[in-house]
Amino acid sequence: MSGFFDVTFFDQAVQGITPILLAALAGTLCERVGLFNIALEGQMLVGAFAAVAGNHLTGSLAGGILAALCASTLFGAILGIGVVRLGGDAIIIGISLNLLASGLTSFLLRTVLGTSGTYSDPLMAGLPRLRIPGLADLPLLGPALGAEDALVYLSWLLVGIVALFLARTPWGLRLRGIGENPKAAVTLGERAGRTKLVTTLVAGLLCGLGGLQLALGNVTLFAENMTAGRGWIAVAAVMLGRARPVAVACACILFGFSDAIGLRMQGASVPSQLTDAAPYVVTLAALLIARPERRRAAMPTSTPVL
Amino acid sequence: MKRATAPAGLLAGVLTGGRRLTPTLLAVLAGFIVSGLIATTAGVSPFEALGALLAGAFDGPQMAETINRAAPLIGMALSAALPFRGGMINLGGDGQLVLGGFAATLVALYLPAPDAVRLPAALCGGMLVGGLYGVLAVLGELLAGIPVLVSSWLLTYPAKGLCSYLVHGSLHDPADALAATHRIPRGVRLTHLVAGTPITAGVLLVAIAATLIVFVDRRTSVGYELRMRGSNLQFARYGGVATRRQSVLVMAASGALAGLVGAILVLGGQYRFTDGALLAPQYTWSGTLAALLAGGEPIAAIAAGLFFAALQTGGFAMERTLGIPRVLTMVLEAVIILFLSMGGGLRRRFS
Amino acid sequence: MIPPPPRLEMRGIVKRYPGVLANDGIDLSVGPGEVHGIMGENGAGKSTLMSVLFGLEQADAGSILLDGRTIRLHSPIDAIGHGIGMVHQSFRLFDSLTVWENVVFRAEPRRGPFLDVAEACRQVADLSARYGMPVDPMARVADLPVGVRQRLEILKALYRKARILILDEPTAVLTPAEAASLFDVVRTLSGAGCSVLLITHKLAEAMAATHRITVLRDGRVVASMATGASSETVLVQAMTGRAPAMRSDKTATAPGPIRLAVEALRTGETARPAVDGASFILRGGEILGIAGVAGNGQSELVEALVGLRPTSSGTVRVNGHDVTRAPVARRRQAGLAYIAEDRHRTASAAASSAADNLILGFHHRLPLARHGLLRTRAVRDWARRLLERFDVRIVNERVAVGTLSGGNLQKIVIARELAHDAPLLIAEQPTRGVDVGAIEFIHHQLVAERARGHAILLVSSELSEVLALSDRILVMFEGRFQAELAAGDADEATVGLLMAGGARARAGVAA
Repeated sequence: MSGFFDVTFFDQAVQGITPILLAALAGTLCERVGLFNIALEGQMLVGAFAAVAGNHLTGSLAGGILAALCASTLFGAILGIGVVRLGGDAIIIGISLNLLASGLTSFLLRTVLGTSGTYSDPLMAGLPRLRIPGLADLPLLGPALGAEDALVYLSWLLVGIVALFLARTPWGLRLRGIGENPKAAVTLGERAGRTKLVTTLVAGLLCGLGGLQLALGNVTLFAENMTAGRGWIAVAAVMLGRARPVAVACACILFGFSDAIGLRMQGASVPSQLTDAAPYVVTLAALLIARPERRRAAMPTSTPVL
Repeated sequence: MKRATAPAGLLAGVLTGGRRLTPTLLAVLAGFIVSGLIATTAGVSPFEALGALLAGAFDGPQMAETINRAAPLIGMALSAALPFRGGMINLGGDGQLVLGGFAATLVALYLPAPDAVRLPAALCGGMLVGGLYGVLAVLGELLAGIPVLVSSWLLTYPAKGLCSYLVHGSLHDPADALAATHRIPRGVRLTHLVAGTPITAGVLLVAIAATLIVFVDRRTSVGYELRMRGSNLQFARYGGVATRRQSVLVMAASGALAGLVGAILVLGGQYRFTDGALLAPQYTWSGTLAALLAGGEPIAAIAAGLFFAALQTGGFAMERTLGIPRVLTMVLEAVIILFLSMGGGLRRRFS
Repeated sequence: MIPPPPRLEMRGIVKRYPGVLANDGIDLSVGPGEVHGIMGENGAGKSTLMSVLFGLEQADAGSILLDGRTIRLHSPIDAIGHGIGMVHQSFRLFDSLTVWENVVFRAEPRRGPFLDVAEACRQVADLSARYGMPVDPMARVADLPVGVRQRLEILKALYRKARILILDEPTAVLTPAEAASLFDVVRTLSGAGCSVLLITHKLAEAMAATHRITVLRDGRVVASMATGASSETVLVQAMTGRAPAMRSDKTATAPGPIRLAVEALRTGETARPAVDGASFILRGGEILGIAGVAGNGQSELVEALVGLRPTSSGTVRVNGHDVTRAPVARRRQAGLAYIAEDRHRTASAAASSAADNLILGFHHRLPLARHGLLRTRAVRDWARRLLERFDVRIVNERVAVGTLSGGNLQKIVIARELAHDAPLLIAEQPTRGVDVGAIEFIHHQLVAERARGHAILLVSSELSEVLALSDRILVMFEGRFQAELAAGDADEATVGLLMAGGARARAGVAA
């Protein structure tokens, strides 16, 4: 087992955490504004597809980034408009969006990229890695922490930004207020619907970043259903962290590490079918131990779900 | 376009009952328009694509194919509709189905008993394992407050992983390049009902299950309690319904039904467990959407399942004649539900 | 000389709801610094009028003038902008947020893009000092007692520079002591030139705290006078259209067997139990009233009795059966029926038919079911019979009950629960939010149950209801029974004092 926790391990862990973290931050914002967003998975998936398709069609990384953000924000808008303006049920719309994302990306993979299963283009420009001097020179962790793509750093930064936004800005206060008691917020003149809508758009954007990281971060490919439940793990992370950004980030780190440990055990000839299941089992175990039911009582904005 | 939507809309309308007729019709119409537009990415006109789809869907000679596809789809639709009727959502159909199919395979292959015993035992084994897995998902909610929605979905991955692992490893038929088990002997297979078609006794089993569910829903105390739970959970508790036990039973039934579908797929057509083969047709996917289209009402779910099965048969025809990927039908299904739920025609009544 | 225009004038306000004319040409005028009482029974149109004034509802006709100028109020934002503030009966607070966050919400002092926490706290402290409402700006609302939450609501309005403050039934949730301190605040506000609209149906407080009183009945103004020129009798007559008489004509009944025995019952966490050691006995042929200010543990007590809330210690016996740990179904089997406080959330299923609503609890046994199978005809006949007997206004038994009025829905709930013919009936706020006719009907039903030898536990925050119907009264305060009184010893003053946590010795408690 010597060298189990080596540079590659931490690199894989950091890479694995990033998309989940971005989606979980999106989920955190939605949860705080009182909207149970289970469409994280689907939004990430369309983001990942659009990143690759946009990159392929425009021949530029910028095209891919733009496409990813547009696609996932559009999905966020559908959720937001459906719930806020049309009075639909967030959970049912979320399920439909997830299923739509899966079907739509499979269809477009065939028609736009002309293949099925996996589209991979090693020549395609992925997200460049940035080397942070100092951080990158740390022993053991250095290469994993200091030489990632910009989205990884952005995701770390976003944890702080979201935390600060929620706790210390007027807009964060309003967002929390709406989630806590929409009637009270409306009585004080808050336009709750609009704020919710904007929140779903921002959440869509964050999920798009997650998809982007997934498709163009470490690799340059799109595979059918490549999000593989990461959006759901993000949902679990939001529950586990009680929609508090830093706590949610910690939950994501836990899940990311279990993913990396799975990958590493695979290297140690444990069959991949079993290690692939590790993050989901860890997620469920963490939820069981943390008992969100009790926390739920303290988390006023959560939507009752059965 | 008019020709295209009329029969589909009518069917969907009839199946969801009068009150939801208009939103359902509109959602189906909108679904066709949007998927028609999406179809243009394949380089064909939307009218052509949808025309081929519907022609294939309601083409007489294709009926056997549709029925064969409809049986598992309706099974999964009911599996999803049962919990939904009580306000719960089971997204773990895939895991329950795959484990059920796997368990049925093992029983059919290795149970030391005569064929006549092994076949029903395999079916029961599939239902049992699927049902237990459904219960596992609801235990998370009862013990720790994890929504069934989340736990059931997350549980699909370990289920798939476990079956995949075993079929790659100790249970692998070494004579086969595919990751698959040995073939199930003839005597333990479901018989064909209609010669020359793929229609087997599995269709009959699903029909029996469907009849049973409709009957329970409409005519029994248990069905009433489930409906009341879906209407207002607190009201059901107030009236003395044992809601915790009820959620366990409902998830057991839902999982068992999914397990039965898995068993039927193995014993009635695939004759062995091949890694990934049970999930490839995405019956859970369509079944969930059919249950949503029906708002959880069993008869409507059956009709919605038929409708979607017809669409999928049409999808094959469309792919054959025009080369448009048949996954378009799944897009169509999802878009219909999306419009229906956004239009407020679909809502969990509690909350 | 032309007198200055009043601060607020409402002219000819008309508001129609489907089937109801809630406000039928109401005129109202309030001067600066005036405390104006708006009185009337449930459904008289008080709340509707105030909703119109606060921009929550738009009037179908009529106009609102502020300082002589017509204003249009499309939303609470407009109302707040014109200096109108409202304290709702059910508070509109963010429980998990702090006091200052609640006060400055959407009018936050900023430093750059960030909240200026220090400034916000300073302003809140200033306001609370100026109007004599001490409150800690950093406290979390969830930790505050009800009286302080109400102060917070007033502070919210004052922070927004309210010149007209609407208080909707402000004392419904307060103890008399808290109410007294609220009226001190009202006087301070009035002295500072702020007009106060006090909505109430309590005679004493209207007489004590207001300058003028307007009485509404059936959506119309039936009286408007200076408080000094009025009296309680005049007000009651105006409100009800008849002389005050609220003693039900009960016949004496012999005490029957013990139907409910509760021993040292506790619920909730040990640190702050919602019900803290409740013990009592209830016999057949008896109505035991539980009085108390809302939020002193009555709801929790009832939920624990019926099995919807876990108990942490103590025992509950229904008809001699120990049901302390039993699920709802077993308690009902033991002979308990329950009219729940919240008919929408608990006691009915809005989307389901009247028949479905009427058979709950009967759906698994004869005559409605056999061997687990529902007998469709029997269900239909059952539903029709109950609808007819309880005079529910509904098209047929297949209609969803979500469309019914409060009174009709309550009749469905009561029809179902009385059909159980259970020896023990728990009636929780049985007349809340129903019209006068339905109240009489419901009271009549409860008294009839008693006459049949059934035991009734009546929980109500309407003191008059408890006093009129009960044989014995338990007064609940902060999770404990403050006192037990025989009906003869109880009057509004005594019970009111006990409800406020007043000493039991002075109230002359029966041991």
